[in-house]
Amino acid sequence: MKVISQNEIKIDSTLAEEVAKRSGENVFLCYQCRKCASGCPSRSFMDSTPTELMRYVQLGMADEAMKGNTAWFCVSCQTCSTRCPQDIDIAHVIDTLRIIVQEKKIKAETNNIRLFNRIWMIAMKYIGRMYEAGLVGSLNFLTLRPFKDMALGVKMIKKGKIKMIPPIRNPLPTMKMFSRAKGLKK
Amino acid sequence: MKIGYYPGCSLHSTGIEYDLSTRKVCDALGVELAEVSEWVCCGSSPAHQCDELMSIALPAQNMVLAQSDGLKEICAPCASCYSRLKIAKERLKDVAMKKDVEHVLAAECPQDMEILHILDVIMEKVGLDAVAEKVVQSLSGVKVACYYGCLMTRPPKMTGKRDFENPQEMESVMAALGAEPLDWNLKTFCCGASFALTKTEVVLELTKKILADAAAVEADVIAVGCPLCHANLDGRQPQINEKFSTDFNIPIMYFTELMGLAFGVKPKELGLFKHLTDVDDFLRERALI
Repeated sequence: MKVISQNEIKIDSTLAEEVAKRSGENVFLCYQCRKCASGCPSRSFMDSTPTELMRYVQLGMADEAMKGNTAWFCVSCQTCSTRCPQDIDIAHVIDTLRIIVQEKKIKAETNNIRLFNRIWMIAMKYIGRMYEAGLVGSLNFLTLRPFKDMALGVKMIKKGKIKMIPPIRNPLPTMKMFSRAKGLKK
Repeated sequence: MKIGYYPGCSLHSTGIEYDLSTRKVCDALGVELAEVSEWVCCGSSPAHQCDELMSIALPAQNMVLAQSDGLKEICAPCASCYSRLKIAKERLKDVAMKKDVEHVLAAECPQDMEILHILDVIMEKVGLDAVAEKVVQSLSGVKVACYYGCLMTRPPKMTGKRDFENPQEMESVMAALGAEPLDWNLKTFCCGASFALTKTEVVLELTKKILADAAAVEADVIAVGCPLCHANLDGRQPQINEKFSTDFNIPIMYFTELMGLAFGVKPKELGLFKHLTDVDDFLRERALI
């Protein structure tokens, strides 16, 4: 058996502290019961389970926590947060990891969600409301799959469910909100 | 009874039937819906995963607008809007968050704005007896699988719901209309939500499971209370059939549409012909239109 001295064992809690500071969630409460992983509808698509993701954050394994696709396959269904026996809002922890990735412009397998978020947030800032045709159109165009869901889109337009013209509103109130929020972050 | 109404973006577009039927049903039940003036998007799917502050500030702005309209309650039929408003209300109890949000809004946030889903309005403000009284065309013999999806009940810490794993409210409304609510497994399972636009395969997989479970209990129709669930369950059936060699053709209706039918509202006024999976055959077979 190899004997190692105590100062060789180090846990880097920087990531866990950052998550706690931003979200108020303490990942060290997680005792790995796997209830979150068993209830996760998206589990089969993920590189690691939500339980493993919590462990990565506890151990400060930032690359494993943020560069893989696990956080980005979270559908925000809130099942894990609802069932966690330690009352950790796991979906909030995952949101926080995604926010860190986006703010620090970390390269990650984001399933185009980074782009989806950016387009929608722009619509909110300048229109104040969602503009479906613009979101779907620009998302498909920028991800180089311009004809994705074309048949479905045509059906929806025919049924009068998607408007081609964006809602026309005074953009100033939301633009001011976004700029004051930006000022606060600086 | 006058209640603030926050339709949200979806009810002005892909979920137009939900808006039409909610208004008709409230009209019949004597609930006056006052649309919050100049409402803005609640932040929905993107804000909470890219900008924590805006994800609270956007719903809070709608509470400010509702208060200046003199409203004390906001009814949000969209499960996502409902969830974002509820979560914002909870998070605003944090003093530091409230201070930042008030700076962003340049306004004071109301403390006691009540946030209700349309199902809450019917259960808590109207009551099942009043619903039953309005029925002119009983839905007897119609087997309904009531589907709640995620955000009508979860997370219970935010929504305050007690029966979050096996909710029963929609079932009791359906029973009051004379329909037969079914016992089934996946009523609170996720449909994949906004992944429809980014990772469609997730939506096809999850939605297939929900449709299969409803088919296994021989549901005539799946009743929903969320425009995103509706879009996925209603619009993706042809793609699911193609991918998984199934032959689903299950009508997906907002529970408010079923209420409207039972109250004798004309199908066209409820937007029943705007569905992508036709409901006509099912309704004709049951002599409901």
